[in-house]
Amino acid sequence: MTHSLAVLALALGACVDELEPAQDQADVRETDMVLLSVPTEPTISFSVWFKVGSQYDPPGKEGLAYLTGQMLADASTEIYPYEEILEKLYPIASNYRIRVDREMTTLTGRTHRDNIEVFSSLFIDAYLRPAFVDSDFQRIKSDTINYLENVLRYSSDEELGKAALNQLIFAGTPYAHPPQGTVDGLNSITLDDIRGFYRQYFTIGSATAALGGGFDDSLVELLEASLTSLPAGDAQPAPLVNPHSWEGQQVVLIDKPDADASISFGFPIDVHRGEREFYALWIANSWLGEHRNQASHLFQVIREARGFNYGDYSYIEAYPEGGRRSMPPVNVARRHQFFEVWIRTLPNHQAHFALRAAIRELELLVDEGLSDEEFELTRSFLKKYVLHFAMTSPERLGYAIDDRFYGIEGEGHLTRFRRLMDEITLAEVNAALKRQLRADNLKIAIVTGEAEALAEALSTDAPSPVEYDSPKPQSVMDEDRVFARFSLGIMPEDITIVPVDELF
Amino acid sequence: MRKRILPALIGAFLLHPAQTQESVMSGFIPYDTHVEKLENGLTVIIMPIAATDLVAYWSIVRTGSRDEYEPGHTGFAHFFEHMMFRGTDAYPADVYNRILTSIGADANAYTTDDLTAYHISIAAEDLEQVMKLESDRFQNLAYAEPDFRTEAGAVYGEYRKNRTDPLFVIYEATMAEAFTVHTYGHTTMGYEEDIAAMPTMFDYSQSFFSRYYRPENTILFIAGGLEVAPVMRLVNTYYGKWEPGYVPPEIPVEPVQETERRIDVSYSGRTLPVLALAYKSAAFDPADRDRVAADLLVELAFGSTSEIYRQLVLDEQVLEFLATDAGLNRDPSVIFIYTRIKDPDKVDYVLETIDATIAQYQQSLPDEERLAALKSRLRYDFLMGLETPDDIARGLARHIAISGGLLGIEELYSAYETVSAEEIRAAARHYLTADRRVVAVLREQ
Repeated sequence: MTHSLAVLALALGACVDELEPAQDQADVRETDMVLLSVPTEPTISFSVWFKVGSQYDPPGKEGLAYLTGQMLADASTEIYPYEEILEKLYPIASNYRIRVDREMTTLTGRTHRDNIEVFSSLFIDAYLRPAFVDSDFQRIKSDTINYLENVLRYSSDEELGKAALNQLIFAGTPYAHPPQGTVDGLNSITLDDIRGFYRQYFTIGSATAALGGGFDDSLVELLEASLTSLPAGDAQPAPLVNPHSWEGQQVVLIDKPDADASISFGFPIDVHRGEREFYALWIANSWLGEHRNQASHLFQVIREARGFNYGDYSYIEAYPEGGRRSMPPVNVARRHQFFEVWIRTLPNHQAHFALRAAIRELELLVDEGLSDEEFELTRSFLKKYVLHFAMTSPERLGYAIDDRFYGIEGEGHLTRFRRLMDEITLAEVNAALKRQLRADNLKIAIVTGEAEALAEALSTDAPSPVEYDSPKPQSVMDEDRVFARFSLGIMPEDITIVPVDELF
Repeated sequence: MRKRILPALIGAFLLHPAQTQESVMSGFIPYDTHVEKLENGLTVIIMPIAATDLVAYWSIVRTGSRDEYEPGHTGFAHFFEHMMFRGTDAYPADVYNRILTSIGADANAYTTDDLTAYHISIAAEDLEQVMKLESDRFQNLAYAEPDFRTEAGAVYGEYRKNRTDPLFVIYEATMAEAFTVHTYGHTTMGYEEDIAAMPTMFDYSQSFFSRYYRPENTILFIAGGLEVAPVMRLVNTYYGKWEPGYVPPEIPVEPVQETERRIDVSYSGRTLPVLALAYKSAAFDPADRDRVAADLLVELAFGSTSEIYRQLVLDEQVLEFLATDAGLNRDPSVIFIYTRIKDPDKVDYVLETIDATIAQYQQSLPDEERLAALKSRLRYDFLMGLETPDDIARGLARHIAISGGLLGIEELYSAYETVSAEEIRAAARHYLTADRRVVAVLREQ
């Protein structure tokens, strides 16, 4: 029994009423350092955020930001070959990894304070002294191509559907392709491209370093000094992302042999965390489809009452890897967000009905807004639920960096979130959802093994009654009659069938 | 550096069926822990963690797909986990949901081969409210047949979302080949035909609840911002009248495997080939030195600093990844070695290289420095995993379920510290032999 008890306890986070999420105590320095000190915590969390992401991929070289990032985190440095890095990290049970999203690249790691010297020098070498060795490059490139060709296209229809929706909504913009790139783009990237991209984007001006947990001043100085050794230059201006507007319900059916149906739909929205309207909209969205929450409305309608699938959720911020997480991700901040409904995998013969049910319930929400009772319950839920978003130092660092991205000053996003749950009115919620949400002019992506039949059904707006093998309450049967004939207004010319192998 | 758990506690756990209690301060788990068994057999573990107002509330049932020994009922433990959210007379599902929603709880559940865990993360001030709900549904679950049938659809949906993953497909096929009679032969999801038939099993579900959801088969683990005495008073109030009545499952014993088995598995989508090797191993027992050494053996032989990892993943780049799972089960299970192969023509070469690695570990002693590095890794990995009450509970739940308390993990980590190079070699000779294994290769159709 050493220091661990008290220390870990302190690391455990916020009291409900007295302590606010620790991100709000962030010491933000002139030199682009974010510090979240918990002196008694036995571990130290590191993060370096570079203002670069897949939106900067040159056309024809989609995947360049991703491969460059991996060549920092998962490859050799000028000091050690990759295998030696693995050997040094092994006994300290630590590692560092990189997340490359549309706008952000974040290198993160965590180690026990016993091992701070070994870890910090490896961590700093990763972004300061990448070796860009060809054998690492070939390994990472082939792994990434395999991810697109086999894993994303074939091993999870849900992730596939969500990636396809993102591509559809942001078609023609630098947000469209997955952060991992495209198969053609990856194949055209050379090691020289990566060297050039690193010099251009991983610069002094684009980097923000962050420390959390039990670090001391010398580590702050070390990390701070490391930033000044990065390639010279400012952060590059972000490219224009201007999703086109459209009329009508636009449908893409991803034709994948033998697949069940996985549905995602949505549209861009114009509201961001930090803004009061965002939190009002979160209340509405939480009622409709809070991620993995069985009390939310879509879950109740599609899964709980009818047993069609495993879950049904909605989002007002990008939420990658939703199938693998229960709380929102960090460091996927974007200037352009979108509203998204995710209907998890269900039998093809229920797809039309489930799509109708979800859109109809969305329409009802837009038309009628939340009731007073729904509003009160949801804000009460969120006020405490949000405490689960950032319980650890790495999560708090993630939120603190995202606050920098969104320009949220003073209290951070999560503190503002809790405070506004007491301030926002029902009228604000209903105004926000009226302004931001809609049930028409949707982009809809469906992975299915019955694309032709579904296209036919959607284009003719044919009734889609469902049958059950057990009695259902009259209220469900009555609602079913409405759902089964609910007009989606999809024009035949707005339906496109894409073979799965042609995506990405 | 590390104190063994109090011998008195071991005795209390193993010998006395009546109410027992101890406070434990151990070396590996850096918190005072109160362990107590109610007269009805419910084991209660309380871990106060100062300076947090969050509480992790875990109800761990020592039943999983392992207990599905009756033909036609694979996947039922998992299905039943879903039914536990369908309410009681006092708290129908919508009321249960409404209460959890009003307190901002993060609530969910999962099922594995050996256990089913129900977990709720809450503010400490809501502990009694949650205990009321949880103790009620474990004692008074009541659902109507139509709800039962509806929930079966959700379970089928869960199967649908998983079945496209080639790693799931090869795992399912390999376990079916490895276990001819034992229930580890089916996955926790169950066979698709059994999932399809679930709506017809309403009566069986009530028998399942009655046999397995009993205090003697359940462990309540509560960690976070709380004090022991008031929480124990609540536990006695809300769980004290839970009637015992656990009926152990009649799980068949798997006959000893005598020859190697090989299977080809076809995958309907696109994938690189996946190779899986499953070697029959032993049940969890921290006193079984061979079994403990096997955990370290597979890490040394195939982990990220192993010779074969360097050769096949980094230098030759034949493999996308190389992974192992030593298994941690109540009954004898398997040690898995699995990998995805970038060049479809090199499956045989990869298998030969794995065999050569195993032969080397059977003939020679592992490097002492690498063994020390691994022990250090295990220590730090464990320590760094204890970040939040919920992390702690999640990290311990499997050990708690398998060993019935915290003793197992304490003993296991103590044993890891003392494993010798000779014991690693002995484990390689014992477990990693061809006659004990299934070799599975998954390819595109």
